[in-house]
Amino acid sequence: MKKYRKAPVCIGFLLPVFLIYTLFLFIPLVQTGYYSLTEWNGITEKIFVGLDNFRDIFSNSDYWITFQNTIKLVVISLLIQIPMGLLLAYLLYMKTRGMKIYRTVFFLPVVIAPVAISLMFSLFYNSEIGVFNRLLEMIGLGAFQTNWLSNIRTLLYAVMAPQVWQYIGLYVTIFLGALQSIPGELVESAEIDGASRTQIFFHVVLPEIVNFTNICIVLCVTGSLKAFEHSWIMTGGGPGVRSAYLGVYMYKTAFVNSDFGTGSAITMTIVALSLVITVLFNKLAALTRD
Amino acid sequence: MKEKRWLSLGMAAILCAGGLAVTGGEEVRAEDKVSIVVATNWGEGDSKYDYFYPVFQKFQEEHADTMDITLQTYSTEDYKTKIKTQTASGDLPDVFTYWGGGMMKDMVDAGLLLNVDDYFADTDQVKREDFDEGAFDYYIAGDGNAYGIPIESTRGVLLANKEIFEEYGLEYPTTYEELLEVGKVLNENGIIPMAVGSNGGTPSEFLFSELYNQYDGAAEEIAALASGGAFKTDNAVKVAETLLDMIDNKLFPEDTMANGGWSASLQLYTDRKAAMTYTYPWMYEAIPDDIQECSDIIPLPQMPDATVDPATIQTGFTVYGFMINKAAYEDPEKHDALVQVCDMLASDELTESLTESGMIPCKKVEVNKEAQKLIMQKTLDYTADKNLVQVHYTTMPSADAISMMDSSLDELFIKAISAEEFVDKVQAVLDK
Repeated sequence: MKKYRKAPVCIGFLLPVFLIYTLFLFIPLVQTGYYSLTEWNGITEKIFVGLDNFRDIFSNSDYWITFQNTIKLVVISLLIQIPMGLLLAYLLYMKTRGMKIYRTVFFLPVVIAPVAISLMFSLFYNSEIGVFNRLLEMIGLGAFQTNWLSNIRTLLYAVMAPQVWQYIGLYVTIFLGALQSIPGELVESAEIDGASRTQIFFHVVLPEIVNFTNICIVLCVTGSLKAFEHSWIMTGGGPGVRSAYLGVYMYKTAFVNSDFGTGSAITMTIVALSLVITVLFNKLAALTRD
Repeated sequence: MKEKRWLSLGMAAILCAGGLAVTGGEEVRAEDKVSIVVATNWGEGDSKYDYFYPVFQKFQEEHADTMDITLQTYSTEDYKTKIKTQTASGDLPDVFTYWGGGMMKDMVDAGLLLNVDDYFADTDQVKREDFDEGAFDYYIAGDGNAYGIPIESTRGVLLANKEIFEEYGLEYPTTYEELLEVGKVLNENGIIPMAVGSNGGTPSEFLFSELYNQYDGAAEEIAALASGGAFKTDNAVKVAETLLDMIDNKLFPEDTMANGGWSASLQLYTDRKAAMTYTYPWMYEAIPDDIQECSDIIPLPQMPDATVDPATIQTGFTVYGFMINKAAYEDPEKHDALVQVCDMLASDELTESLTESGMIPCKKVEVNKEAQKLIMQKTLDYTADKNLVQVHYTTMPSADAISMMDSSLDELFIKAISAEEFVDKVQAVLDK
């Protein structure tokens, strides 16, 4: 009996979260799963079509283009945001003078609305009135001038750039907090033992912040999988779907084309992709710990 | 201590009584007033807002005792999404501006819209005959009934800056070869020949239709789309190939995405960076007086192998009108109020006011030409002897086909797909 004495308290704490998750996550997810098996324009009756929507999207080249774009964004974000965030945080950690100002400067873009950032970059890229090409010319890189949003080779990366840049500051802040939590004696001991800065970084600092790194990786991957605003504001996911991610493609399908059945099927594939990446990442993290 | 307790209790009682009084008062008001939701895409910043809102506000004030009218406004693209979402959630406004053709099909199929003849039968203020009968075509569904009351008609225009042409000793081009020659000279002088980009299919989609209409049988093909006709035609491929050739010859801005969309395309022209642009009167509010002064409206040059003289035709169609929520209209409590709101939306007063924004009305009202913007006066003069032709936008049978045409044109303009691929992509949606 003693073991159940605290049950009401536990239930009291868990119930709000359980209700919120059930109402706003699990039930909509189950509903979306059901809609994905129907042909539904959002107005008329739903017609059960089994897996037809999934067959349609998997045989549609536009889906695979947006799938590739999303994976590219995940990889590029991981390759740039995490190392850059760590590097800048480490530089701030090493040279503490003016750290608070720099930390604020790096974090500032994170709190600016993505819509504003996207509009700003759209203007930067504009070949007629934008500053980007002019800057390139001024610094002697005129050969690299191009129509950033109308060139099929640069379009996707031009749309990715503001998103990748905007959130580096978030990781700087997280890593800086992590670095500051490392006991000073550890670093001092390593220095006394004659370890170089590089050795300290790789053998003392990195192992100490591995849990924070995992959090950053999860944030980076989930942030990329649900990417929407930058692509939608800058190009509407176009031309065609060439700068669209899965989230944008889902929105266009469901809300612009009024095909909620197919839109729901795309959503379920995003959920599945997120689950696969999460499982793989957890296994990898467990291996690293071992 | 005891006094304080009594004081607290007394204040609490007063607050409760006040609360009850307020609630009771609201109940009385709620019983008397009818709640009506009106939605339009004429939000603040839209060229029509300044001409619509005063009339609406006056109506709202005049009926403040009987109606509680909520006005919902959004910019056009957001507005389309909002209405679709509201439709899906069963929260359609009582009266709302919207597009016909493929855009309204789902709502008509679901029985959400009122046959406008039911409204005309109930009102003594407005008659169907007050409108150009052809303007209703855009709102006629498969069952032969009209589900929208047309407000705005429009005309596609090619504007040319005569000062730029004079500066470089050029004549307005009448053939494709002349257009290429003019384009060459303008490009050599750092001037964009024709400010037409493609972002979300604008303005490229309408230029595509304007060019399409120059070809043999094109008008019939565009009209047939509404009843299951094909998009994939020889003419469609021909026009798409011509557009690609125009891009290769640098007749359009190079950065077609950044300079696409109605505003960005027009901006190049009003900034005198482009010699010509293809636009519609709903953009006239953004044309400065000096540019209106030096602008001429000219026919599009005749395209290769085209058989129809472009000087004799012009795209002209109903852009949109307003629709009535059938369930709300049939609600006895709302019915009379809705008729009055519709009377206001279809009134001569509002129509005449909106014409000042650069709108060609679907309703037969006296338009004071002298009171119009100069560019609108030029448009009315140019339009007078033209045969009006349709655009794909109004005859496409479904919203996703329009959407595919728009996004694929964006791809065509950056040369990511060929002319055949563009046509195939749109046809694939129609086939589905």
